[in-house]
Amino acid sequence: MFILDDLLFRPFVGIIDALHSIALDELYDLNELEDELKENQLLYELGERSEEEYRRRKDELEEEIEIAREVHEQFSSGRVEVKR
Amino acid sequence: MDSETDGDRLVSHRYVYGVVEASDDIEFETDAVAEADQVYTITHRRYGAVVSDIDTTEPEETDEDAQRHDDVLREIMEYDGGQTIVPMQFGMAFEGDRELKNVLRNAQPAFRRALRDIEGKIELGLKLVREEDADVDREAIEDAVADELEPVAAQSVPNDLFSDRLVFNRSYLVEKEDQEEFDDAVAALEDEYGDELMFQYTGPFAPYSFVDVKIGAQG
Repeated sequence: MFILDDLLFRPFVGIIDALHSIALDELYDLNELEDELKENQLLYELGERSEEEYRRRKDELEEEIEIAREVHEQFSSGRVEVKR
Repeated sequence: MDSETDGDRLVSHRYVYGVVEASDDIEFETDAVAEADQVYTITHRRYGAVVSDIDTTEPEETDEDAQRHDDVLREIMEYDGGQTIVPMQFGMAFEGDRELKNVLRNAQPAFRRALRDIEGKIELGLKLVREEDADVDREAIEDAVADELEPVAAQSVPNDLFSDRLVFNRSYLVEKEDQEEFDDAVAALEDEYGDELMFQYTGPFAPYSFVDVKIGAQG
């Protein structure tokens, strides 16, 4: 049964994991989110973005960054296994 | 938590702003990081760390505290007619004086070099951001800025272009006495490029970008 399980499930899980991790990387690109946070700050400081818009965007991005960090941590701690 | 109690008194840790020559005994009251109100120096032989008390070794980088960190460094630089300080990035906190003194001892050569490099100098920053619909020649702008500013600066380093609106982002190390000349050079650029670019000229800061001293908090 072990052999059968391996043959049946491993390739399948592998593909799903790979797709999953590509999607996660795109969804949770920490660098891009951090760059957007800096851009938001810069455009606010230069007076192009209103305080209201700046704060809304900042809250949004900080939340996304927090989620992205959690996801990356789960990956690196091995709690979520990724095969590519 | 990292705090221990000594009787009823909370034993605090040390939050570090930067390192000075031990002969510069710096002490003043101000709004410091983590609501501390006293900044003072802990010395070991040739060097001293300028610190305030804090109840954690992992301070959270809030906007307010990041600003206070910068402000305190600026106050130190202006203290008693002007000090040279090797600035630390935000977030360097030590368990106690013993750990801090170990670092002051072990990193002596690095502090000596850094102090020599930045003596009497300040850091200024320039970001150029293109107007939303402007189509700009990045290379021509880089050349024009370099021609105008590099002769006045002692050194400069490029910074990350974190937005596609950001055309230019550089930090300059400038002799304190040359700051006015540098201001004028930036103003001349603004006259020339003000229609297509927004200028963000910042500083003076402690010269973060020109010291390469990284110290481990558990050193």
